[in-house]
Amino acid sequence: MTKVKKTIEDMTICQGIKLSKGFYETKENRLLTLIVKGIVVYLLSMGSIGFYLSALDVEYNVLLCHIVIFAMALFSAMLYYRLLVENLGYLIVLVAFGGLVYTFRTYINSGFYAIVNMTVDEAAQYFNIDIQRIYTEQIENRYVTVTFTVLFIGIVLDIFLNVYISRRMQYVTAIFVIMGLNMIPLYLVLEPNGAYAGMVLSGMAMAYVFRSGKHYSPQVSVKRDDIKYKEKGKKKEIAYVYDVKAMMNAGIIALAFVVTVVSVVSVFKPKDSFNVGYKGNKYKELTMAAVSTILMDGWYGFFRMSSDVGGLQGGELGAVSTVRLDYQTDLVVHMAPYTYDRIYLKGFTGVMYNPYENCWTSVEHLSDFDEDMAPEANSLRDSHLEGHEASAEATMMIDNVETDRLYLPYYTYSCTDYNRFTAALFYPRLEGNNTFVDLSYYGGQGYTEADLYVPEENLEAVAQISEELGVVITDEDVINALIDYYQENIPYTIRPGRTPYRKDFVNDFLLDKKKGYCSHYASAAVLIFRYMGIPARYIEGYAIDYTQLYNAEIAEGVVYEDYYTGYSEIGETAVIRVNVTDADAHAWVEVYDVEKGWYPVEVTPTATAEEEYEDFWDMFTRMTENTGDNSDDVVNAIDVNNTMNKIIKNAVYGLVILAVIAVALLLVLKLGVWLKYIIVFLSADINDKLIFKYQSLCRKKRRKDKEFRGKLNYREQLEYLISKQGEVLDEDIRKSCEETISILEKAGFSQDSITEDDYHQVIMWLKKYV
Amino acid sequence: MENFFRAIGYVLLLTINIIAYWFLHSHFHFIVIVIMVVAPVFSVITAIYLRKIIEVKVENVGGKGECGEQNHEMFFLVKLINPTPWMSLDVKLKLRVSNPFFGTEGEMLFSVPVYSFKGYELRIPFVSDFPGRINIEVEELKIKDLMGFVFLKKKMASQGEILVMPQIIGEKQHNMTYLESGMLESEESTKRGNDFSDVQEIREYIPGDKLMSIHWKLSAKRDILMVKDRVSMSDKQLVVLPELCKANIYELNVIMATTYSLIADLIKDKLTVRLMYWSKNRYEYEDVRIDYLEGLNDAFGKMFYEECYQDMNEASSHMSLVHPEMKSYLHISAQSGKAVIAVRENG
Repeated sequence: MTKVKKTIEDMTICQGIKLSKGFYETKENRLLTLIVKGIVVYLLSMGSIGFYLSALDVEYNVLLCHIVIFAMALFSAMLYYRLLVENLGYLIVLVAFGGLVYTFRTYINSGFYAIVNMTVDEAAQYFNIDIQRIYTEQIENRYVTVTFTVLFIGIVLDIFLNVYISRRMQYVTAIFVIMGLNMIPLYLVLEPNGAYAGMVLSGMAMAYVFRSGKHYSPQVSVKRDDIKYKEKGKKKEIAYVYDVKAMMNAGIIALAFVVTVVSVVSVFKPKDSFNVGYKGNKYKELTMAAVSTILMDGWYGFFRMSSDVGGLQGGELGAVSTVRLDYQTDLVVHMAPYTYDRIYLKGFTGVMYNPYENCWTSVEHLSDFDEDMAPEANSLRDSHLEGHEASAEATMMIDNVETDRLYLPYYTYSCTDYNRFTAALFYPRLEGNNTFVDLSYYGGQGYTEADLYVPEENLEAVAQISEELGVVITDEDVINALIDYYQENIPYTIRPGRTPYRKDFVNDFLLDKKKGYCSHYASAAVLIFRYMGIPARYIEGYAIDYTQLYNAEIAEGVVYEDYYTGYSEIGETAVIRVNVTDADAHAWVEVYDVEKGWYPVEVTPTATAEEEYEDFWDMFTRMTENTGDNSDDVVNAIDVNNTMNKIIKNAVYGLVILAVIAVALLLVLKLGVWLKYIIVFLSADINDKLIFKYQSLCRKKRRKDKEFRGKLNYREQLEYLISKQGEVLDEDIRKSCEETISILEKAGFSQDSITEDDYHQVIMWLKKYV
Repeated sequence: MENFFRAIGYVLLLTINIIAYWFLHSHFHFIVIVIMVVAPVFSVITAIYLRKIIEVKVENVGGKGECGEQNHEMFFLVKLINPTPWMSLDVKLKLRVSNPFFGTEGEMLFSVPVYSFKGYELRIPFVSDFPGRINIEVEELKIKDLMGFVFLKKKMASQGEILVMPQIIGEKQHNMTYLESGMLESEESTKRGNDFSDVQEIREYIPGDKLMSIHWKLSAKRDILMVKDRVSMSDKQLVVLPELCKANIYELNVIMATTYSLIADLIKDKLTVRLMYWSKNRYEYEDVRIDYLEGLNDAFGKMFYEECYQDMNEASSHMSLVHPEMKSYLHISAQSGKAVIAVRENG
């Protein structure tokens, strides 16, 4: 079906006087208009990305991102050149973009996670909590991955903002789109780089001005159905199209205004000293608890009843992507320090591992400490009562601030529960105390079959690791070999990610993830020990290091002897008060030894630097990244009195920005003119092409040759060119000159089309003489 | 109203920013607030300054020398002169366009940008169905500030004018005589039966008289050669008297076109024409001798300043009183939308 083009009738100004059609039919300079809109889109998209990343001080290939996002902004804007271009262009862009995203999905994904992790790191610092990183970055070269992600976000923003800016100049929507996420760094009191803030503000200011002024030009494009003149009663109005000169003019004023204001404000209220003396907003503080909860636990953190702290899950495994700590005090312990070693407070004993359900379950008789630690405690007590040199009797007062589980030290003989407070009488096994555990206290064997059971589902993984441990003979060798193996092969991380659906926790840890936190190491170690014939159990609780004891406050009003009698590895000290937080939560292994009974074994390695591997993109990064001095800039002390320096600095800064913008605008304009020439040239017929070529050559010649400027017609110009070559105007040359003039005149003035041969003949002629 | 809603929206955005600043105390929001507070002030002040400085100049550019031609495109050039660095994206120009000769008038609103240091040139191409004097007057400017909050009015009195000459009609609406078609008297006399010259007397033949002057019918009756002693109209100059009657402007249009075309045809052949018309303003005839086209345009240009009247015979009715010596003239009037050309004898 042929589309009927709407035409516009002459508009009557008054009776007998009509505005002629030529008034409406002048077309806007669409190309330049779209370039200006593209610049606005670029300012908003790159500005907003730079805003976020500069606030977080994220490193990426800035130059590459600027170039690509700018080019894409212009390209997106150009899609509105024609309806056909728009429809086809979007299709091609989506397909191409989809293909690229699919190809580089790993990089983009990793970059996303890197940005999120960096944000979370900053948030952790701000909230003084230990969220650290949440997501696993498959590629750890952040410079590259973030660059990919910036390009991805930039292109998406270009396309998205282009719809709002190029089509309807909807600045409000654009503001909400770009400022939504940028509130995060501002919330964390991280200010963006002034240049990016300026870009965002300039883009907004331009969009606002363009929208408010409607950039009128008294032209109506008849090709667009939605634009036609209106009649309102007796007064008539013309519907106008963009006037690109006005847009550029207004855009430059908006830009200059924003740069000036930003520079002036930065002089009188510098960013660095802006918050000096500011005491904070109590309403913001009210939100901080909720925000920190979201950061630590996600939205469902509000509803979750169980903790995600490693070692405090009651045997539940695999559901924790990242160990999240709030550093809130869970227990307050009053005790007398007695060892340099780690002191374990045991809370859960896992005996039965349930593969694929990913949990440890206890057995009934171990749920009570009397049954659990009684044999060892009784034996050590006997030894203490017998006056063994390295024996001791100690009391620990445990205040359960946050938890409802009973946590007791090794080896608790008895405990008294005073509601929240527990008083534990225990007998520690100190170095040099080789007291044998009396088997009679076990009522026979110290362990059961369950303590050696390895589920069938885990046999393969456990056997594989056991084989890798090599030939080991004694239990101690096995334990040390596994600890070494863990240390060398399986790095510690608090963000191992969740165990995938329908996968087993231990198998996934040993064979796939090969990284994890204490629960992973302890669970796998229990099964490996069992496989190697060593009775073992999975234990959860708190581990208190000596440094904590050393830094703890001294409890007042208590007597040391009431808390500790006997041998102490560190000598007599004082009763201290230790705050045990969820950062101290831990999982470890208990191993049975026929002489020592059940004793704790630490299998979790210390955190090591993450492996770095180099691939193509690493090399690419090395080539593209700044090779200058990357040492951290020392932040100068803020000298609020040094206003003069700041004025000069900001003025220079503003001028440099203005100069750069001016140069960029000039380049863009040149580019626009060149693009327009190319488009017009390509769409021209052969006659016009020849004339364009000729005019272009003449323009160049005129610039260089003053004399040539006086030659006004083809004959004069061509004869001049011949004479400049030093050639005599003989018969042949004159003939070729005449032919060239004839072809040029035909191309310029005749309705008839010249031939391809004519075209090439003239071009050759011009090449020879120009 | 649009401005009002824009202002409300702006205040809303500013409020959101102030809340965000109060909540976050960020340097960025502080800058945004400063910009949002200063920008409207800056915008309005620059608009006020622009209003003070801006000038409007109307230039007329006809399609035919300095005059335009009926039914042909011509244009006015409205120049907004702005030497300041400030600009406006939307300046509304209220233009009053009129043709006083025909008594038509209309208004039109144009919206144009005004560039920094340059201003703007608004080229208004138009076509006039009627001849006359097309007046364009910029009565008022409304300058919208860059942020679109206020429209600042400025009264103007710039005007321009184009004289639009009637279009020469191709097909002559009156019966052409050889004289009218531009023949010389000698040529005219060679033709038979188309003698529009005045017959002063009929007398007996005197040798030497032209054979063509013989009145053959009378000679046959009287049986003696009688000749017509004639005085050529061209000797006395052809007087054309159009009626400037605007009772029906379409008929006035026809009268103008016919008069203009007739005179143009006559002067093309180097005949002198006297254009007379009744001046209602001065209550007397205007009498213009026309030899060339420029003179014709000047005469019409002057005539277009006259006030038209309602009576179709107003001009001819005064002729016998004011110019009793005038024996005959070509009277051009209109009836039923068509031109009527008649040779009127005075008295």
